[in-house]
Amino acid sequence: MNWKSLLRHETFLALLLVVVLIVLSFQSDRFFTVSNLLNQGRLMTEIGLIAIAMTFVIATGGIDLSVGSILGLTAILTGVFWQNIGMPLPLAAIAAIAVGTLAGFANGAIITRFNVPPLIATLATLALYRGLAEGISQARSVRGYPDWFYVLGQGEVLGVPTQLWILAAAAIIASIILAYTRWGRTVYAIGSNEVASRFSGLSVEKTKLALYTASGFAAAVAGVIFVSRVSTTRSDMGTGIELDAITAVVLGGTSIFGGRGTIAGTMIGLCLIQALKNGLSLAGVKGDGTIMLIGAVLILAILASNLFERSGTR
Amino acid sequence: MSAVVDLPPTRPASGAQRPGFFRRLFADYGQELVVLAAVVALFIVVTMVNPRFISANNLTTIFSGNAYIAVAAIGMAMVIITGHIDVSVGALIGVLATISGTLAVAGYPIWIAWLAPVLVGMAVNACIGGLVAYARIPSIVVTLGALSIMRGGLISVTGGTWITNLPPSFLIAQKSVLGLPVPLVVMVVLTVLAALWMRYSAFGRSLYAIGGNAEAALATGIPVERRTVAVFVIHGAFAGLATILFATQLQVIQSTVPPNLELTVITAAVIGGVSILGGSGTVIGSTLATILFATIGSALIFVNVSAYWLRAVIGLLILATVLADMLRRRGRI
Amino acid sequence: MSAAPYVSLTGMSKSFVGVKALKDVSFDVRPGEVHALLGENGAGKSTLIKMMSGLYSPDAGTITVDGKDMKFASTRDASAAGIATVYQELLLFPELTVAENVFLGNYPRRPGGWIDWAEVRARTRALLDQLDTFDLDVDAKVLTLSVAQRQRVEITKALSKNARILIMDEPTASLVESDVQRLMAVVRQLRERGVGIVYVSHRMPEIFALADRVTVLRDGGYVATRDIGEVDEAQLVSMMVGRPIDSLFPKADAKIGDTVLEVKNLNHGRHVQDISFSLRRGEILGVAGLVGSGRTELALTLFGMTPATSGEIVLEGRTVAITSPRQARDLGIAYVPEDRGQQGLVKQMAIRKNVSMASIERFSAGIFIKAGAEAQRALDAVKRLSVRCRNIAQPVGELSGGNQQKVVIAKWLETNPKVLILDEPTRGVDVGAKAEIHTIMGELVKQGVAILMISSELPEVLGMSDRVLVISGGRLTGEIDRADATPERVGMAMTAHQSGEAA
Repeated sequence: MNWKSLLRHETFLALLLVVVLIVLSFQSDRFFTVSNLLNQGRLMTEIGLIAIAMTFVIATGGIDLSVGSILGLTAILTGVFWQNIGMPLPLAAIAAIAVGTLAGFANGAIITRFNVPPLIATLATLALYRGLAEGISQARSVRGYPDWFYVLGQGEVLGVPTQLWILAAAAIIASIILAYTRWGRTVYAIGSNEVASRFSGLSVEKTKLALYTASGFAAAVAGVIFVSRVSTTRSDMGTGIELDAITAVVLGGTSIFGGRGTIAGTMIGLCLIQALKNGLSLAGVKGDGTIMLIGAVLILAILASNLFERSGTR
Repeated sequence: MSAVVDLPPTRPASGAQRPGFFRRLFADYGQELVVLAAVVALFIVVTMVNPRFISANNLTTIFSGNAYIAVAAIGMAMVIITGHIDVSVGALIGVLATISGTLAVAGYPIWIAWLAPVLVGMAVNACIGGLVAYARIPSIVVTLGALSIMRGGLISVTGGTWITNLPPSFLIAQKSVLGLPVPLVVMVVLTVLAALWMRYSAFGRSLYAIGGNAEAALATGIPVERRTVAVFVIHGAFAGLATILFATQLQVIQSTVPPNLELTVITAAVIGGVSILGGSGTVIGSTLATILFATIGSALIFVNVSAYWLRAVIGLLILATVLADMLRRRGRI
Repeated sequence: MSAAPYVSLTGMSKSFVGVKALKDVSFDVRPGEVHALLGENGAGKSTLIKMMSGLYSPDAGTITVDGKDMKFASTRDASAAGIATVYQELLLFPELTVAENVFLGNYPRRPGGWIDWAEVRARTRALLDQLDTFDLDVDAKVLTLSVAQRQRVEITKALSKNARILIMDEPTASLVESDVQRLMAVVRQLRERGVGIVYVSHRMPEIFALADRVTVLRDGGYVATRDIGEVDEAQLVSMMVGRPIDSLFPKADAKIGDTVLEVKNLNHGRHVQDISFSLRRGEILGVAGLVGSGRTELALTLFGMTPATSGEIVLEGRTVAITSPRQARDLGIAYVPEDRGQQGLVKQMAIRKNVSMASIERFSAGIFIKAGAEAQRALDAVKRLSVRCRNIAQPVGELSGGNQQKVVIAKWLETNPKVLILDEPTRGVDVGAKAEIHTIMGELVKQGVAILMISSELPEVLGMSDRVLVISGGRLTGEIDRADATPERVGMAMTAHQSGEAA
């Protein structure tokens, strides 16, 4: 009953995606071309990586608002470690990712050790991490990275954008973990009933700590990819990306109260958002007008699946 | 079973055992007092480092420049007390500012340019509140969607241009009454009125009840759905009032959404002592917290710390407040 | 004193999702009487009182108040008709003051719509004083009050609406003895003033001390209404369970072996003080005590939820320190908790997933779950414990209380426990499932499991246990062998030390 209604939401969403794709390809010849689609994949990778980790976090009933700031902090640190401290670039990127992961770990520690509600804890670290990024960069941007570094964000492997491989791998691994392993089971159990999970001997705290750490790691990797894609670092990178990621996750059928959600749903949600953005801009809708539609789609999709569910139970 | 049971006559004096005034004050306004103390301490320390900090000019900057955040935070505090959240208020203020500025430039009477944001704000939030209360979509989802709609709509309509040539009579935030800047007066008056209303009106008290235990509130006969819509509408009115202060403080209006404004507003409410879980907190706290942020921002400049560290300092401070609050709660239970 | 009834309900029926919760029940309350409503969990008491208080609307039946037919669309209608309810889970708002809680929803107003706060406080004070509750500050926030004080606030709230009928749902379930006495005095005082009281309780002594009449429900149906003078306790119990009590509690004879668990001077906070006992293989050790006596806290300490601050736990000869439920599980201690819905089950999840939840490692290869093995074990468990369900993919929340409880037990049996702690194993379970659970317990002890059974039901404790531990005020106040365990002896020990503990 439960997973059936879940399936229904995803089916509904997938159908919506197909309809959108068809409509958009009629709107513009350039939409349904391989190069355009691959390029869209490039653009959605950063949000996608974050949304995958966010799916886990939200499925436990939590939330992580600080991911955009972690992305920004990682981006800045990559530049600073490389240019100002003089580390070799690969090492600088790894060190920056390590710091980003640590930032996620700190979120988890605050949430699990001190019982701070995730919304508040990550609201605070959103300001803190962004503040650190701003303070460290002092509004200076770093440019002039060596050419090989751009392979990550602008290059291709076997004709497909490099980062899209990363996203695909992450999505596959994450959906296997969520669907078939005991970690995934633990995530759903915590999201459905944290108390009962603890009473069943599941390691609730450790799981949550790991998830927020993973969320930091995903945001950090997204940060490095972001730098490589746009060839520069600025401290405001990733501002607001948390809301984009959460939108994709919730649109994908993950319950904001936890206990429900799949990676497949998140990826469909993500594709839908990206297709709308791209298709509408190709159809001549002014850039940010597309964001508008995404908001409407989010509300309508949840409304529709709410209605479905109610008609199912009554 | 003995038939007659003697009651322990604990305190014959009626109404006895009333804790002292300060005890009660601290119990009811603990977090607010902490924030107030932080503001006062900051003033003292920074003034010792740099006496110009306390100049009239700087105080005006601190209070007036941020009054609109405090006003928006009043409505936000009410929403959070009721057990909901609104992440779209920053976008709403952006939209309302553009509407207000456009009307003013187009030559409509000034009072219409001022009234419009309030009414539109109420209308927009009535829709949001309706979706939350009757369609039972979680408020964070609805307002996340509303955020996208308004942010996207604003930029696509205006293209991010600035509104200039605002008529001078429109710029109320730059005027004074009785020698005090208007934003400061508005902030104080609204805070005091809202605080009284939340503490002493039946409506205000019912918000605490709903946020504390919505099911019990329903069983007590409180019309939970209608109140939920109403609190969003009121929040919309405060957003409208905040917009007037925001849109009239400069000679131009940037037709974009102030980045992260919604998070600043939420943070102000929460640091001021509003529990994110609903059911407790006051609007006085949110205003004090806004003042605290503004003071920190100004203080950093006066002690020669780069303004780029401002957010980091505020973030640390939020974290410290939250942790202290959690530890205090743990100590109490 | 047999005045005309103030409220009468005739032919009340109510179904939930196809399940009949109440079938053709009639009930009435006269002014100035205490009418006890009796029945096992699931008998339909709470459905009946919820219809009386306007929370549920009946599928069939009529409600007459003061001779007039009424329809209650909401709690508002019921309270306008003079019916107020003091619920088991008190519906108060912790952040609001006593006075606010009392008048929330119908504040006295001053012209202009403002609340007259002076009036609110004065009237609350007066109402509290009427209940001889001089020690409650009307400006105190409710979160600072004890359970007994909160209950007083609820009663005051009911009186503020000029209630003619007061429904009290298990008012003494979580009170210590001295507070029970005070509450009973309040009830008597209300009766003197002509208030009709519906008194729902499991506790026979209270019912015999307070009630004028008693009505018994069973399995959603009406059994009988009697004057209290006409019945004795044994009759009431057999009316409740529908058969003579002797056939209950099939105590299985198991061979009692070596000591598995030995607890020495265990301490945690106020509720677990200096507790020592031992538990042997094949033994059922009953734990009796009032709610709040520290029974559950003892279980939580053994289970590592609230780790012991001092004392020793010896498991199979080895001294162990248990600091988390996970560790307790690994050591072979299982805990079937008191609050099934919150602590025992993940209601939205399938039976299969709930069964494997505590032993997921055993159904895994590396980190991957072996779905086939998991399903097979769940099927076996469902068959062995005869869980009535559609299939193992059914969400546990859709099962009846008894079947839910069997799933919790199945979950813990998957861990092959040496020590099984059962906290209120048959609360909210219908009579049939109750006997089944008792049979399961019997089989387990035959297999050599040691069971620690906490229960509020004295007959259950006496009927099932080989020995009885009695706890009061966090301390062990009795250890009684089966042969010597009489209700009187256990009851005495349960209330020992209580007199010193006032609220």
